[in-house]
Amino acid sequence: MPDNRFIERPRSFCSLGGALLTATALPEVVPILHTAMGCGGSIYWNQYGSTGYLGAGYCGGLAVPSSNIQEKDIIFGGLERLEEQVRTTIELIDGKLFIILTGCTADIIGDDVQSVVRQYRNEGINIFGAETGGFHGSGYKGHDTVLTVLASEFIGQKKTKKKNKINLLGIVPGQDAFWRGNLLKIRTLLEKLGLEVNSFFTQHDTLDSIQNAGDAELTVTVSDFYARKTAEALQDVHHIPYVTNPFPIGPTATEAFLKKVAEALELAPETVNKVIVSEKEQYFHYIERVADAYNDLDWQRYAVVVGDANYAPAITKFLADDFGWLPELMVVTDDIDEEDKTKINAVIESLTSHYPAAVAYESDPTEIKTHFWQVIPRRTDSLYQKTFSPGFVVGSHLEREFAADIGAGHLTVSYPVGNRIVLNRGYAGYDGSLSLIEDLLSVIAAQR
Amino acid sequence: MTYIELKVAPRREERLGTCIEFGGTVGEVHRQFCGGCLKNRSRSFSQGTICQLLPATAILTSLQDSVVIVHGAVGCGGAVHSQGASVRLGQFNSGDKNPKGALWLSTNLSESDVVSGGEEKLKRAIIEADKRYRPSAIIVLSTCVPGIIGDDIDGAADALKEQVAATILPIHCEGFKTKIMATAYDAIFHSFLRNMVDGNDETEFAVYNNEAAVTAEKIRRSRLVNLLNVSSMTGPDQKELTRLLNKLGLEVNMLPCDAHPDAFRLAPFAALSIGVCPTHDDYFMSYLHEKFGVPFVGGQMPIGIENTSLWLRQIAAKLGLEDAAERIIQSETEELHRALQPLLPNLKSKTAMLSAGEIRTLATAVLLQELGMEILAVRPYHYDEFGGTEISKLEKVNPKIRINVATAQPFEAVNLIYRTKPDIYIGHNSDNIWAAKCGVSILPIYGTNSIYSGYAGAYDVARRIERHLKNPVFNEHLAKNVRQPYKESWYAEDPFKYIKGVE
Repeated sequence: MPDNRFIERPRSFCSLGGALLTATALPEVVPILHTAMGCGGSIYWNQYGSTGYLGAGYCGGLAVPSSNIQEKDIIFGGLERLEEQVRTTIELIDGKLFIILTGCTADIIGDDVQSVVRQYRNEGINIFGAETGGFHGSGYKGHDTVLTVLASEFIGQKKTKKKNKINLLGIVPGQDAFWRGNLLKIRTLLEKLGLEVNSFFTQHDTLDSIQNAGDAELTVTVSDFYARKTAEALQDVHHIPYVTNPFPIGPTATEAFLKKVAEALELAPETVNKVIVSEKEQYFHYIERVADAYNDLDWQRYAVVVGDANYAPAITKFLADDFGWLPELMVVTDDIDEEDKTKINAVIESLTSHYPAAVAYESDPTEIKTHFWQVIPRRTDSLYQKTFSPGFVVGSHLEREFAADIGAGHLTVSYPVGNRIVLNRGYAGYDGSLSLIEDLLSVIAAQR
Repeated sequence: MTYIELKVAPRREERLGTCIEFGGTVGEVHRQFCGGCLKNRSRSFSQGTICQLLPATAILTSLQDSVVIVHGAVGCGGAVHSQGASVRLGQFNSGDKNPKGALWLSTNLSESDVVSGGEEKLKRAIIEADKRYRPSAIIVLSTCVPGIIGDDIDGAADALKEQVAATILPIHCEGFKTKIMATAYDAIFHSFLRNMVDGNDETEFAVYNNEAAVTAEKIRRSRLVNLLNVSSMTGPDQKELTRLLNKLGLEVNMLPCDAHPDAFRLAPFAALSIGVCPTHDDYFMSYLHEKFGVPFVGGQMPIGIENTSLWLRQIAAKLGLEDAAERIIQSETEELHRALQPLLPNLKSKTAMLSAGEIRTLATAVLLQELGMEILAVRPYHYDEFGGTEISKLEKVNPKIRINVATAQPFEAVNLIYRTKPDIYIGHNSDNIWAAKCGVSILPIYGTNSIYSGYAGAYDVARRIERHLKNPVFNEHLAKNVRQPYKESWYAEDPFKYIKGVE
């Protein structure tokens, strides 16, 4: 989303939204909004329709403590109101860590939130502050901002590092509707390598385990783009190096990912090879018995893939390199700079299937259609025509109407996800790609 | 009404003395409001809630042939990702088999826009929206950022008037400007009245060379009524109220939700404006009356059996249709009461707590009383002079009913629920979950697919409450296995402890 123009139906929360969803995804953390009254509600309605009906959780939604600053606070400053709100929140709400998240209003008037943080920290309260006003950028940025604050200020310094302990980053709660499933799948996979994993947001993470993450040997980011500042903060403050890897979906991508992590940690090649062999066996245990239908019913499809910088290349690679589909076009919906585009292009250029997928960078649903029509041949009256049939669109719910127009199947994976319910489903790794296959083929089978 | 000369509609705090902070009984609220005791209150603890922008996007993205531009940071307007589901359903129900959903743009104000201003970016968005979608109306919603940095959205709209084919409607709904989110309704109507409802009779309804056609149109207009459906009426509600009005021989011009902008242009030529909720409709209807002489009825929400009859009687009285109305009311209510009989024993003395917009909460509570249920507490989002009518009805049955004026604020609700233990909580999307976590059954007080209004609505609400009470285990399990974020000590405290300014 280029900065200098409007965006049609944005595919992202604002910075505050990403920050709030990150804070509510952390164990025992209570966010305190220092914003106008509607920000909490607006984000909640947004997450409902964009994140697979993700509910409020422990202290999110309309329960989130919020200073609800008014015009008089904008004129005279909102700190007095914030101070009062923090005091009553600590009195009323059962939380172990409080984090103040600012909105546009507080950031523009320049409220010195850190002075309130210092005041309460001096009283022994575990409290932090993050500048997350919506105009600073997308939800991905807000996520990174909150985690950077934790990495720099909350995670304790450790002199010695613990062998085979890692921090896992790169999956963004809310922006990725499948964040819970994806995180758990990657975490479980890495544990099979014998690693101890701090993954921040799963039910196996606690505030203590996060605070003690300073002795990790390595940070593994399953994204070439997200949570970068956090990885850097862990490196700068805690001297933990990091590796980044494209978000892995399917056996081909996941094998490469595991090898990269093993190499960075100098694990014995047998260890990683054993895991890869076993995981692949599991994968084909299931694939063997869907292969009948795949072949008998001709379930190969042309595809276009629309998604964020994690999902678009990951799904395209899975379809091209593992699933034997034909991804004609990949559209990446994030606003990313030229250098980052080369990383995504590299994934496509290095497809093991060498499938010639076209690549576009666009967020606007109207413009995305223009890209579609450049790769999808228009129907003609001719008996003999090359059509985008049988076709499939993997994207967000914003592509649903287009898919119906061209008679293609459609599955919502990337934000906004408003036509699916998401609980523990995830698409990452070997296991996740089986779920993706189930979901893709169920769309087709549902028509039978 | 002189407000219309102003660029911005007045805040409801000033126009109606509306407040959002009170805890007490229905008997007390009425007296204290009249005594002016509810003014200047606030909460020392508050929770994130709804600002003007949320109802604004919900209503405006439903308009046909229009584009909504949310002028703000990229998150403002994000609610449309879920509100759009209703819009899509509306489009589907009007015959579009592959509906496009809500169309909206964000001007995506960034750090550099905050410094240098967002007006030029807004203008570019308006011009591009006009070219790209060729809409009948472009609606510009101003949010907190332009409100603080001082973008002149009215100036931008004026400057582009000649250049852009669509009618541009600038609407001020900056979240920090008012505590009363219902100010949005005034803000929306304010802009439509200033920019679209001009009373020029040049629409397709008026220009005829044919004398017979002109006469036919005059006759039609003598039975044409504006029916205001602002966010109070679901699709099935609209059908039910249209059905009743058609029975009276009236034709309905429905607006603003799901309407084409032409419905606004037609409004000054109707014989009567009919409100379904004073909170929503008074601003628009009073103006149409003042400026174009269109009479109106608006004190009564047609939720509840007696309320629906009252609503019909008020309409009939304005048009000389009293006899027809009485016949309709008699046959409708007879049939309804017959249908309700098997349900009533299962509802008798069941207890309820309700939360939603002022009139909706109170009118639904009145309906529940008619069904033989006991109301423990009502939690209207705000309170003002319009609440008195329904409060009096509730008070007549039981003056001790608790009232908690709060725009959501679930911490107060949860405390009240622990004290009073209702069988069912009837509230809005997003508010309900906190009652659900207390183990209470839930009926959504508004849901796009459901009916609440008129006689059919009364039956269906009864039927759905009965259904929910038949198997409450989902929320009972929930209560036993998840926890509320409040410290145990909270449940022993006064639920209204954090309301300041209580004498």
